[in-house]
Amino acid sequence: MLRVEGLSHAFKNGTESTLVLQEINFHVRKGEMFALLGSSGSGKSTLLNLMAGLMKPTEGHIYIADHDIVKMSENKLAEFRRTHIGFIFQAYELLPNLTVRENIELPLVFQSIKPSLRKQKALKLLEQVGIPEKAELFPSQLSGGQQQRVSIARSLITEPSVIFADEPTGNLDTKTEEEILEILKRLNQTMNTTFIIVTHEHEVAQQTQHILTLRDGKLESSFRPNREKSDAPAETHAEEVLA
Amino acid sequence: MRISDLTRLSWDQVRRRKVVTMLCAAGLSIGCAAIILAMSIGESTQKIVESELNEFLKMDEITVMADNGGGSDEAKKRGLITEQKLEIMRNLKHVKAVAPYQPFEYTQYATVDNKQGSANIIATDLNSLVSFGSTFMQGQADDGDVTGVVLSYGATMGLIDPDDRQKLYDAMDRNPYDPSVQEQYRNMMVVPTSMFNQQIQFTSTDENGKQRTSSAYRVIGVLKKPKGQSDMNISFDRTIYVSMETAELLKSELKPSSDAAESTVTFNSVKIKVDAEENVKQVEEKLKKLTVSTQTNLLQREQLEEQFAVFKAIAIGAGVFILIIASISIIVAMTMSTYQRRRQIGIMKVLGANLSQIRNMFIIEAALLGLLGGLLGILFSYWIVWSINALILSLNNGQTDISIFIPYSAIPVGMTFAIMTGILSGIYPAVSASRTDALTAIKRD
Repeated sequence: MLRVEGLSHAFKNGTESTLVLQEINFHVRKGEMFALLGSSGSGKSTLLNLMAGLMKPTEGHIYIADHDIVKMSENKLAEFRRTHIGFIFQAYELLPNLTVRENIELPLVFQSIKPSLRKQKALKLLEQVGIPEKAELFPSQLSGGQQQRVSIARSLITEPSVIFADEPTGNLDTKTEEEILEILKRLNQTMNTTFIIVTHEHEVAQQTQHILTLRDGKLESSFRPNREKSDAPAETHAEEVLA
Repeated sequence: MRISDLTRLSWDQVRRRKVVTMLCAAGLSIGCAAIILAMSIGESTQKIVESELNEFLKMDEITVMADNGGGSDEAKKRGLITEQKLEIMRNLKHVKAVAPYQPFEYTQYATVDNKQGSANIIATDLNSLVSFGSTFMQGQADDGDVTGVVLSYGATMGLIDPDDRQKLYDAMDRNPYDPSVQEQYRNMMVVPTSMFNQQIQFTSTDENGKQRTSSAYRVIGVLKKPKGQSDMNISFDRTIYVSMETAELLKSELKPSSDAAESTVTFNSVKIKVDAEENVKQVEEKLKKLTVSTQTNLLQREQLEEQFAVFKAIAIGAGVFILIIASISIIVAMTMSTYQRRRQIGIMKVLGANLSQIRNMFIIEAALLGLLGGLLGILFSYWIVWSINALILSLNNGQTDISIFIPYSAIPVGMTFAIMTGILSGIYPAVSASRTDALTAIKRD
């Protein structure tokens, strides 16, 4: 589903160059709930941005659904993101002037989908995230947890191959965090969508099927906390990835 | 991306960002109003001057005169305006009316109660007066009545007893700077006398100093007071229209020595009324084939149009200049707005919006600002025109036909300029918005 091969990235500051990711290799299976765990400065956000095509790596390849996104032009990437990638942000990033339903429909607007079909899909997703009654409200009228549910629904509307979630529970209290993680797990199971969650919280990472730990820009470990859900033993898989 | 979605998203921004919208729309509306006003004032002034010219120069009329050729008798004879030629002229296409037009001479006349005045006597076909644009205030034309005359409204003004007139002149001589006496004189010049059905007599003095007085003639009609002119101006147009027969009679009474025989079969000059101004040239060409001289006032009109074209070009240039200034304010306001909306643009890009979609959103937003500015500009221009007209009316004590109007063509022209300025000014901010780096935009500190 998603393959990262020999990925390295350096930030240039004048003549100086700081290596933030070194020789990263791993792959994510279709329908897997995957966590990128790391402390601040470990390079996890940079890795997410590279995988989402928002940055170009200094070296290496990223394949999503067998497409090498590193080679794509900006417009091609926009088109690719539109159909293959969903996003869930830490701060929800809903457009304040659009209603909840319109926010969810937005990715389909860029695909020129008929308004009636967009509406139907958005309402269905709102039901799946448990807030069907909020459809015509504006984001400012919702709580943080509800806004994140809207953000999740928005990420799913294009039925993407992979959804990137950047600290999806970072702005939420413990109870809401649990609710959101439950929703993500349920949607992962029912819709068979691949989720890649970037987090610094072990508790959040523990909820996923596969954890990749980053430290100082290097892949530290890869393991599967819920063995029963994995196709292969975690250790084996980690070895395979690290190899 | 659907046009309806693009428009809706752009309109949302226009509605939400009230200050930017107001700033941009205000600038554009001033430019748009300037263009509409420039066109309106130019067109209205041209129409006013044209109608004044028509009033005095009669653009849709042709004066036909006898053509004396090279001076030989044969050529003179060929160039005469005869009854036959008159008949041909009447049957020409686009000719509405034909009437002989023989100025007699400036002649004194007096009423029964000895009020005196003087007027230009013109011999014509009285029945054609209406066809030539005159309207009767009282009475009507009757060519059969040889003693009947028709007076212009000006010919009924300023009639006064000679003794009273003399007294006033004396008073003016004594006190030339006394405003009350001058006021009295001005009033005397414009006071109308009820002349309908009154009898008048004409007097003239021959070269030997002998005074001759005609028999009594009856005023069978008085023409309507012309609109849009001051009373003093109207009092200068003192004309008495008589039929050709009456003219012959008058001539025999006042100038018995002149040769009247020739003039009964030929005419010195004839006036032709054409159905529309644009057909004047065509009719004139045909008339020239009858070996007669013609005269129109089209040249004055052409000169006038040239002058107004220059005036309009300058005025529209000023409007365009204002729009250019306005466009700078739009570029600044929209670029600022782009900067403030970087995060939103970034989110849209992350969600799959491509460069052209972002660019189009901003360009449509700019076009909507142009549309709003244009609509406001139209409202402003109507309001300004209404104010100017109210001012003109109040300055003329409510008695004027002069008014500024907004020609229909000015509205789409002003609107197009406003929208185009909006779009052109929006291109730079739109391109810069589409180039926003999504990652930088969504990054949080």
